[in-house]
Amino acid sequence: MSSLLHVGDRLDLDLETERWVCGKCSQDLGNARDNVKRGLLVAERDPAEVHPPLIAGEFTFSPNPQWVRILEFYCPGCGLQVETEYLPPGHPITNTTELDLDAIKARLAAGELVLDDGHLRPAGEEQR
Amino acid sequence: MSIPTVAEKLAALKVTTASDYERACADALPRGAYEIAVQRTADILDEGYEIFMRSSRSSMGVAGDSIVAMFNAAGDLVNASAGTYLHAVIPPIVIKYIIAKYSDNPGIEDGDIFYTNDALYGGIHNPDQVAITPVFFDGKLVAWTAALSHTTETGAKEPGGMPVSATSRFEEGMNLPPMKIGRDFRINNDIIELFRAFGIRAEANVTVDLKARCTTADRVRLRIVEMCKREGVDFVTGLFRRMLDEAEAGARKRLTSWPDGTYRCVTFSDAAGNLRGLIRNCCMTVTKRGDGMVIDFTGTSPENLSSYNAHPQAVVGHLANYIYEYVFHDLPISSATFAPIDFVFPEASCLSPTARAATSNAVMICSGAMSAVANCISRARFPTYEWQQATASMGNGGNATVIAGLSQWQQPFADMIAYPINTEGQGARSCCDGMDAYGFPWCAFGRAPDVESIENEFPMIIPFSQHWPDSGGHGRFRGGCGTAQFWAAHHVPALYFMAIADNSTIQTPQPIFGGYAPPTVPGLSLKGTRVSELFGHLDNDTLDFQSLVEGRFGELATEPFGRVTRPINGDETVTIGLSTGGAGFGDPLERDYDSIERDLVKGLCSAWSAEHVYHVVWDAERRRIDREASDAARHEARRARIARGRAFDAFEAEWSTRKPPEDILGLYGSWPDAQPLAPAFRP
Repeated sequence: MSSLLHVGDRLDLDLETERWVCGKCSQDLGNARDNVKRGLLVAERDPAEVHPPLIAGEFTFSPNPQWVRILEFYCPGCGLQVETEYLPPGHPITNTTELDLDAIKARLAAGELVLDDGHLRPAGEEQR
Repeated sequence: MSIPTVAEKLAALKVTTASDYERACADALPRGAYEIAVQRTADILDEGYEIFMRSSRSSMGVAGDSIVAMFNAAGDLVNASAGTYLHAVIPPIVIKYIIAKYSDNPGIEDGDIFYTNDALYGGIHNPDQVAITPVFFDGKLVAWTAALSHTTETGAKEPGGMPVSATSRFEEGMNLPPMKIGRDFRINNDIIELFRAFGIRAEANVTVDLKARCTTADRVRLRIVEMCKREGVDFVTGLFRRMLDEAEAGARKRLTSWPDGTYRCVTFSDAAGNLRGLIRNCCMTVTKRGDGMVIDFTGTSPENLSSYNAHPQAVVGHLANYIYEYVFHDLPISSATFAPIDFVFPEASCLSPTARAATSNAVMICSGAMSAVANCISRARFPTYEWQQATASMGNGGNATVIAGLSQWQQPFADMIAYPINTEGQGARSCCDGMDAYGFPWCAFGRAPDVESIENEFPMIIPFSQHWPDSGGHGRFRGGCGTAQFWAAHHVPALYFMAIADNSTIQTPQPIFGGYAPPTVPGLSLKGTRVSELFGHLDNDTLDFQSLVEGRFGELATEPFGRVTRPINGDETVTIGLSTGGAGFGDPLERDYDSIERDLVKGLCSAWSAEHVYHVVWDAERRRIDREASDAARHEARRARIARGRAFDAFEAEWSTRKPPEDILGLYGSWPDAQPLAPAFRP
């Protein structure tokens, strides 16, 4: 039975090995007790590469690149874009998700939760 | 001074402990009668909501931007009908204040009507006003009712109730602390006159909305009295207590099913009123443990000298928008559902300002909290069996525009145009795109008026209303598209116009799981164009969003979307009304070809984005995606990502040495932790 927990759209966490895993290519992405972004490649994009200016002037439908940059986080195995974050230049990068692995595993072991098709389900509840 | 403290207000959100009498009444409810009676409360409130919309005069009231609620005798919210969930959680603060402060003087009697619109005492911002009535039966206080809605005029320094140029609460017009405005089921005439005086710009809106609130609260009061007559006070008391018990149990059960953990999101905005600068408008840390969670705003930027501040309970109200829409959608709107949630607000921040702060645009600064809570909670829920309820954030643009003056019917008016705010795109969902023009993130059930209704009500002509392409954030599932409307002054020599929003330089919502945010939204108008003459040149062209941005109808003037009040001459462009799209979900390279093709055909996605964001090869002539060529293009795009991507540690080491330009950090606080650098002084 798979021990993969779906944590993001294409991001899994192997509860047995406590490793982040790419949901597209199964690349190992690092220790699941650490920020997953540390196991991903990072690229900084000018927002105009995604939101092109539609008109001339200071306010153009495109974010001002002096105010904000787009950080893209890729799986080093397949190039999947796992996360993005819009940040002012130099702003600390956010660790968005810190799961309490010990608590999850304890609840699974106690039968309180069931890992069903990659998602946690309370025992006795039906899959939705 | 007896203004409630932040701690007192947050404590009032919690459900009061059941008395022995209440517990006994709840235990004695007959089997089956409880479920029927719960539905009866919903029916009563729905009736009240319908009456409210039909009785209101201002655009927001007619659109249904309101809530009708009932409470137990202690002031705990038992159930409500919405409208907007914005007001769902916080009215108990006001009712508990009335009970604590006014029981002796001026007293609480059958037939009394209480009222407030002052956010210092527990509201959102002063356009949002509430009428509250105690419910007596056989001389005993058994319940409370309330009707809350937004009226777009408060007698502030600018029309429309949300002055972008206000620097303190003393410039925001009418601010009434909780007060008794009526006795014996009648509003005092001196109070109506007070409202007329503050509402000179739009007297009908202000006084009719006042009466609509009182009428609605009284109708619900009447129905509760009827229920007491029919079922007995013990039954109603027990019903309310058990509804609170069940709601809290339901909320705790839901939270228990999520994995314990810590979830974070930071969001930014680019303006506070007419002050421009970078603001960390929300720094959210959600810590979920067991059956409860703590939402901590530490790290949010300091309060500022504009009206873009929000008192803490107003922030909680904004969280309720998302939480009731997506998380507790199947639970009663009740104090009890929020009982498991605690909050931490940093003092003197824009989400917990000092008493003199202007807060009439609380809704704008709270767009960050609304976006962050969607992001954090979706991260907590995606690993669970409720994963399909995980979403990207709404756009939360709140691109509100106000026009004022003398209408074509010779009536003074000052009102908000309900169409753009009620047609924002929904955040992308985890199994499909966000809905295009889904509605108003602040009011899930608000209704966009027909163009004909707007033109009939206001001195404007509206040549087009449409979705605008690429307005939804890109992703495997894209955010829903927002709308564009062209507004021109019509029938009158001139009108006044102002606009309330930010997101013209940077956007607030963060996307999720590899998607993108929606684009920024500028303030747009046609320079010096006589609209009637423009209509004469439409023979060979189409006036729409695309033709405007391509300059085919003249030069566009661009500026920040938020604009202080200005006159607009008749026959000139008021502005291009733009509502934002929702944020995107997942890697755009994972988006299926059929969806991209459909968006291209419908004009919801541009050919540029198809090529540069989705990396597909679009055959414009055959109106088809070349799938084989697209497979190759996407393969190449993924290789390019790996080639340009850098190891996290090396990237972070260099990234962390950078800083935005100093001249945009005046509102931010210290860099990068956003601590106050000096107190905010207001005269």
